[in-house]
Amino acid sequence: MAVDMELEAVLRPIQYPMVPYPPKVITLANGKKMVIRQAMREDVPAILKSVHPCLFIERDYYDIVSARLYGELLAWYRYRVKSEYCLMGQVDGYLVGVVNGRLEDEKVGMSYHTLAIDRGLRIGSHLFAAKMEYHIEYLNQDAVLIVAESPIGFRRWMVEYPLEATKIPHELGGGDSYRLTREIYLKAKPRLVVGDRPVPQDLMDEAMADIKFADDNTIRERIAGLKGR
Amino acid sequence: MRDVAIIGAGMIPFGRRDEDTLMEMLAYAALKALDDAAQSDTGHVLPPIDAVYVANMGGGMLQRQTAIASSLVDRLSLMPAAAETIENGPASGASAVKNGLLAIASGYYDCVLVVGGEKMREVTGWRATDFVATMTHPQAEYPYGITLPGMAGMFTRLYMEQYGVTREHLLAISLKNQEMGTLNPYAHVEMALDRDGIFDSPHSIVNNPVTADPLHLYDLCPVSDGAAAIVLCSLELAKKLSKPPVLIAGFGQATDTQTLQEREDPTDLKAVTIAAQKAFAMANLTPADIHVAELHDAFTILEIAESEHVGFFPKGEGGKAALAGKTRLGGQIPINVSGGLKARGHPVGATGVAQLVDIVWQLRHELPANRQVQGAKNGLTVNFGGFGNNVLAFVLKRVEQ
Amino acid sequence: MKKEIAITAYKCKQCGKIHYPYHDRCLVCKGREFEKMKPEGDAHLLTYTAIFNLPWGFDQRFLIIGVAEFENHVKAMGQIKVDSVDQLKTGMKVRPSWEPIRVQYGENVYGLKFEPIE
Repeated sequence: MAVDMELEAVLRPIQYPMVPYPPKVITLANGKKMVIRQAMREDVPAILKSVHPCLFIERDYYDIVSARLYGELLAWYRYRVKSEYCLMGQVDGYLVGVVNGRLEDEKVGMSYHTLAIDRGLRIGSHLFAAKMEYHIEYLNQDAVLIVAESPIGFRRWMVEYPLEATKIPHELGGGDSYRLTREIYLKAKPRLVVGDRPVPQDLMDEAMADIKFADDNTIRERIAGLKGR
Repeated sequence: MRDVAIIGAGMIPFGRRDEDTLMEMLAYAALKALDDAAQSDTGHVLPPIDAVYVANMGGGMLQRQTAIASSLVDRLSLMPAAAETIENGPASGASAVKNGLLAIASGYYDCVLVVGGEKMREVTGWRATDFVATMTHPQAEYPYGITLPGMAGMFTRLYMEQYGVTREHLLAISLKNQEMGTLNPYAHVEMALDRDGIFDSPHSIVNNPVTADPLHLYDLCPVSDGAAAIVLCSLELAKKLSKPPVLIAGFGQATDTQTLQEREDPTDLKAVTIAAQKAFAMANLTPADIHVAELHDAFTILEIAESEHVGFFPKGEGGKAALAGKTRLGGQIPINVSGGLKARGHPVGATGVAQLVDIVWQLRHELPANRQVQGAKNGLTVNFGGFGNNVLAFVLKRVEQ
Repeated sequence: MKKEIAITAYKCKQCGKIHYPYHDRCLVCKGREFEKMKPEGDAHLLTYTAIFNLPWGFDQRFLIIGVAEFENHVKAMGQIKVDSVDQLKTGMKVRPSWEPIRVQYGENVYGLKFEPIE
């Protein structure tokens, strides 16, 4: 696609500088190691391949979460969103989950979505925790605004942390935001935020090689199949 | 009283069956059991089904559907067979089997279909938890927010303090049953757990959080959809079929107080002991004669406690026995080779029937080698209702042709 | 104002067995006549748990629930007013109170609560 850089200069929102998220590794309930690392802008087309099959899964609101995530990642790829980032989880090099968000300003973050592509392993919990860790500990923000679009999300974030209700509208529309403050984060951290750093070189190499993707049917089966949890 | 045998057994895979209604699940499982019996009936000696007993706990609450058995006979074109729905909490399955057993033993009916099924994943976790909690005492327990895992947590604390059960013992059950679940195509959970991931690693705090202290997430069975069915007839008739009949050699049922606090010793699951003793006495067998057992491990502690209360191990030894591998396939007494409720899942109305289906397959020696207890002749099931206030046990016996 | 504990226990007139909740026949001697009694004094904790997957109707992250025995031997379930089970031990003394335990249809529902006594 030809890009008119003069026009782009007008269309592209400003970007705050963001320190990189240092990768970490988590041992999952099945003993597998999940590497969580920051996605690069050029990873987006590949990630969208795994998000795509989720667009058609109604179970547990996967359709709405993945449709929005698809748009958000595309907007980041095309420079149409302010200060967005994306973290991803990989097991054996395979993409198993994606989280994203952005900076509203230097002190307040806007949480977007959490998509677990493999289920029953608390991948969503780990990735959401990594997202909060990034905002508070690395981007040094004071608060993150969050809404849940699925009952599972509501239970995992609003109830488990627990987050505080506000009257601040969230940019995803719908209801008012819940807020994770630095204080709430630090209190929840010992029971919700885990992971080892640095990631051993062999695991890091595997994660950084071309991202592997399960085929569409496997993804659909994992999320919406009989054994879905 | 006539001897009664199981001549047909069927189950549909447990899990999240979003595509199926409760009635569809019941019908699929029923047809499998009916077909299994028909396959065996090469001489066409089986009479039509006289009666259908359907075990279901939540149809009224979760699906807003009642008179489920009447609907099922219609669907299966079994009219004018007698039909009733049996609701006895999580012991509904075994209760329905009991009704079929007594009906044939009495001589009143000749051929009975028993189906158990539940569709629990239609509602959110909050609603499902609330539905199951309606078994608790409506004034003295339920309003406080107590749940069945909560009851199990309070029980576990006492059991740990009195009998030295440890998290390691509970862990042995989770690891064993989820490992067996990976081999069972009917199991809801087909994921083996890793000790490091759920216990040793500091990351386990997120992977396996406390759910009902001192129980953790992986001490609990999943919430499942599923159905199972069996066909019963007299042993005399069963002997004319091609597959080896499985005799219901013994049966026992007992109740206890609704609240734990009113039991003289809350760690004493009297109803389990009495139900098992009655079943063993009727079968003229002892726990040592049992080759394979399906116990009601809705919580890991229950497999340990039941293994003691039915007489496989002395009190306080069940956890150690599990840790030592005595309850694994190939061990002294293989328990929950199917994966149990922990891995097969626990669609409450289906469980008691599914346990019998698994034992029938074991006693007919129909399972693949990695799940088959070699040469198994006698099996035991325990279906545990409420928090041990309504328990049924069956002793099954392979009858050589 | 501190509310009275609105629990009634039942003592069998024939054998003295104390029941809570109510039974139509005595759990020991099958007697049908009972003397009403109120739980008295402090209590000691028999067992407890912290529940994290709560049923519909509870918004909090977890609930701590236990069973305690009053000085006059009435046993009952209640919510426990602590932040963590680490603050509890079986056998410890707890003080009972009658407080809101949940909200149903916008109204407070009252029930037993226990608080450890220092």
